[in-house]
Amino acid sequence: MANILIVEDDKDLNAAYKVILENEKHRVKTAFNGLEALNLLKDYTPNLILLDLLMPIMGGLELLEKYDLKAHPKVKVLIFTNMENSPEVTKAYNLGALRCIIKSWTAPQNLSRVVNETLSNKTLTKA
Amino acid sequence: MARATRKEYEGQSALTDVMFNSIGDGAVVTDEYGRITAINQSARKIIGVSEKEAIGAWFPKLFRAYDDLGRQIPLIERPITRAFVAGQIITSRIHYRAKDGSMVPISTTTSPIMLNEQPIGCIAIIRDITKEYEIDEMKSNFISLASHQLRTPLSSIKTYSHMLLDGFMGPLTKQQDKALKTIISATNRMNETISTLLNISRIESGSIAVSKKPISITQIIEEVISEHQLAATDKNIVCSVKCPDRSVKVISDSVILKEVIGNLISNAIKYTPPSGIIKVSVSLKNERIAVIKVSDTGMGIPKESRDSVFSKFFRADNVIKQETSGIGLGLYMVKGLVKELGGDVWFESQEGNGSDFYISLPLDNSGSRRTTKPKLVKK
Repeated sequence: MANILIVEDDKDLNAAYKVILENEKHRVKTAFNGLEALNLLKDYTPNLILLDLLMPIMGGLELLEKYDLKAHPKVKVLIFTNMENSPEVTKAYNLGALRCIIKSWTAPQNLSRVVNETLSNKTLTKA
Repeated sequence: MARATRKEYEGQSALTDVMFNSIGDGAVVTDEYGRITAINQSARKIIGVSEKEAIGAWFPKLFRAYDDLGRQIPLIERPITRAFVAGQIITSRIHYRAKDGSMVPISTTTSPIMLNEQPIGCIAIIRDITKEYEIDEMKSNFISLASHQLRTPLSSIKTYSHMLLDGFMGPLTKQQDKALKTIISATNRMNETISTLLNISRIESGSIAVSKKPISITQIIEEVISEHQLAATDKNIVCSVKCPDRSVKVISDSVILKEVIGNLISNAIKYTPPSGIIKVSVSLKNERIAVIKVSDTGMGIPKESRDSVFSKFFRADNVIKQETSGIGLGLYMVKGLVKELGGDVWFESQEGNGSDFYISLPLDNSGSRRTTKPKLVKK
């Protein structure tokens, strides 16, 4: 069981991911843009952040820049986006994200699988 | 032929100088050490130097080259070095940092000057492609944004369809189950088409962003198979994975690798008759290279079509006759993506007896010493 923060502006997807991850017995909090997430993160340290990149008010990259993962080495970040193979994804990796998953390809069971594998740190290390 | 008089020679030389300086693109000539021996007006304008400053200067130092991400290109990878070492014409796109600090996109064609089969210098033709670059960037941004906008609703359709199918909202009747599988299958096809168009656009414009890291090859294969399980089950096709060592890691981009393997598995499912078998295996070619093999028991590729398999819009005759859906861009994309990953792709096939597609990728050797004995694969 882990603490997971979902940062996703699409309300339907945000709700779906919450149900999927809670079904895996994780404790889930949600935010709908980077700024909301940043406010939550002031007194909350999740084990993993599932982060969209393109969001209104504050996007995922700006959140990563402001939150500074080097100062939070225990927090793992998975990028969940539809912007595959884009410079934004490269920037997210450079800011400490561990892996990128494409939303429109990923079925719930694979989302759970990647989240659980990342949490158990089986195969991924920070760059 | 009468010998040219000094006056005629001087006249010819002056004419050559005028012609050289009148070329619209920049032209720089170097000796075998890379020192500039001639530079025309356009090149001086692009680089922002006088003839006096340029002549005798070391070209790689005067004209520093950067990649798309603003990293300086090492001397060994510079077009001038590659042209000189390989003795071949090298065409590439680089960036040059102008005197005001801005990065200028440049197209270069660098040719070795050969004398008695030995390179004695180079000629570099350089062209400021800022305008083309801006148009390319606009096109790329448009495709990127359009793909993103198309995918946003697809993500919801896919996620909620799977949630329904997985019983998150209660049990389904057989008819509902079948209808949902049809929705998911159509969503996957649309996703594949969007990915293919996006990737081809990026490969062709040279704007694909590749983020290589050590990644578990088995994990990626299992995820891809899981994503294609519904389509395989629908045709009663069995997909299996054989990886002797689960710890095998390659240096690759996980998203691109998923697209490559996904495309090969999707093809295998599409072109394999019901109750067929698809096997995905991983072996080590040597200490540095891993090979992924995707085998099917499908219709195979006719002999006369084999040279065109990785061409744009290729569809084999036996495939067209079966009326299987497809636009013939998948393997063209696979070839382009595998090249971006620093690997290679090839195949073996016999019409009527299935196909074996192979992808080679650089292994991650940063971890502990491998205990698995390399299993050699013939290319």
